[in-house]
Amino acid sequence: MPALDYPAPIRELILQMKSLPGIGQRSAERLVLWMMGRGHARAAELARALVQLEQRVGICSECGFFIERDSACGLCESDKRQKTVLCVVEQAADVLRLERSGAFSGLYHVLGGRLSPLDNITPSDLRIRELAARVPALGVEEVILALSADVEGEATSNYLADSLRPLGVKVTRLAQGMPAGGGLDHVDEMTLHHALSGRRAM
Amino acid sequence: MEKNGQGKTSLLEAACVLMRLQSPRTSTRSDLIRFGAQACVTEGAVGGRKLRVAQSPTARRVAVNDSVCPRAGDYLMQSARVVWMDHSDMNLARGGAEHRRRYLDFAAAQLFPEYLNALKSYERALRSRNFLLKRDAAISWRQVDAYGRILAEHGAVIRRCREDLIQRVQEPVTAAHLGLSAGAEPGAVSYLPGYPGENLEAALLEVRDSEARLRTTQVGVHRDDLALTIHGRPAGAFASEGQQRTLCLALKLAQARVLEEAQGEPPLLLIDDIFGELDKTRRQALLAYLPAHGQKVITTTFTDWASETGVGGLVYEVEDGQLKERGI
Repeated sequence: MPALDYPAPIRELILQMKSLPGIGQRSAERLVLWMMGRGHARAAELARALVQLEQRVGICSECGFFIERDSACGLCESDKRQKTVLCVVEQAADVLRLERSGAFSGLYHVLGGRLSPLDNITPSDLRIRELAARVPALGVEEVILALSADVEGEATSNYLADSLRPLGVKVTRLAQGMPAGGGLDHVDEMTLHHALSGRRAM
Repeated sequence: MEKNGQGKTSLLEAACVLMRLQSPRTSTRSDLIRFGAQACVTEGAVGGRKLRVAQSPTARRVAVNDSVCPRAGDYLMQSARVVWMDHSDMNLARGGAEHRRRYLDFAAAQLFPEYLNALKSYERALRSRNFLLKRDAAISWRQVDAYGRILAEHGAVIRRCREDLIQRVQEPVTAAHLGLSAGAEPGAVSYLPGYPGENLEAALLEVRDSEARLRTTQVGVHRDDLALTIHGRPAGAFASEGQQRTLCLALKLAQARVLEEAQGEPPLLLIDDIFGELDKTRRQALLAYLPAHGQKVITTTFTDWASETGVGGLVYEVEDGQLKERGI
């Protein structure tokens, strides 16, 4: 007698859920069973949202941030933004993070990841060629590299700085240092080291 | 005590893992777990703090005074410094340079808080750089150089720490060696940097041709070494086995001295089964040179030497993984 299991459609959905980041077998089962307990309306809503995601969301060919398909990019097309400063980030989510800080009013460029030879991610997998084309086209004066401060992020920053140098554009990177509103006791040694070497006169 | 395979070394290893989160035997963490078991837990008290390390095949969790410590760095700050001595210390004189770099790493990581992070980043960047050099028929130097700059940044930190460590260790090594060899032989240690000049980035540019040919990173702190000498001659080639053993002991004793000076309290000494291999004079000299106050855990298969040298302390018997107290 074969071992008893869920019917095939349920197994399929559990498999799909499990492939999402942070969700294992048990969580996937729980989510699927929860949805079935709410009846078909609940499942249909979710299905519609997923289809819409596929149909209506696109990526701006300029900056790489999300847009609604066939509509203008709210960032690139806005005339309130400073077009001479370009901020390079790894992921589209980083754009929102910087936007929420309200400290930046220039344009963005989403790379879509960072260089990592060991994971087989090469410059051609990232939107680096697009960046090199945008800089002269927009007449950018300063490129700000806002990538992570780990080994891969630093390597990507170095690579970008070398690639952009021939274009004669100023390349800067984010400062590393003290978190706002925190005392020295909450800072690790490495950050403290950076904060000390990047100190400012008062 | 007495028999082999009863768990003496495992006891010391547990202490080392508890204090430093690394084992002198293996760098594979799942190797720490007993065969057939799911996980292992080590507990202990040091300086009034209760430490705990739990290890499963995939995850490690550490706690101080029953509160979980999310960052290993914070945990290590609260635990004690350790010096490990066993028969494989001979490799410092006889083995390849990786054994001497391991000595540098183990000591420097306990002395300088920035060392371990720099070393990990350096090793990560080095792996990527070597992979880039091997991967393509035509090397993409711009990508390679992006990693070279990271090597230079972290390599500078690592070199500074290692230079500082060896500078502090030099005098105690010579002193300990004189003590152990009854004043007969001057032994010395010095640092051999793995790249010429001050700037690793510039040094990497110099060797570009040979890197293009050999396809690995040719200079950097991963090529660092130590020069060990007795009477001014390289110890690895010209010293006898006994002389080499003495110099290796002196290196470890000096490490204990330096850690004690930096920390204000002597480190925990974990000494695994070395007394059986020493003659009586060296044994006594070694016992005399061990830090007087610090805690020492010594394993041995026989205790005759202990009564002959008048060493105090508690004696436990290890049999089949169980500890039992016994009088000398």
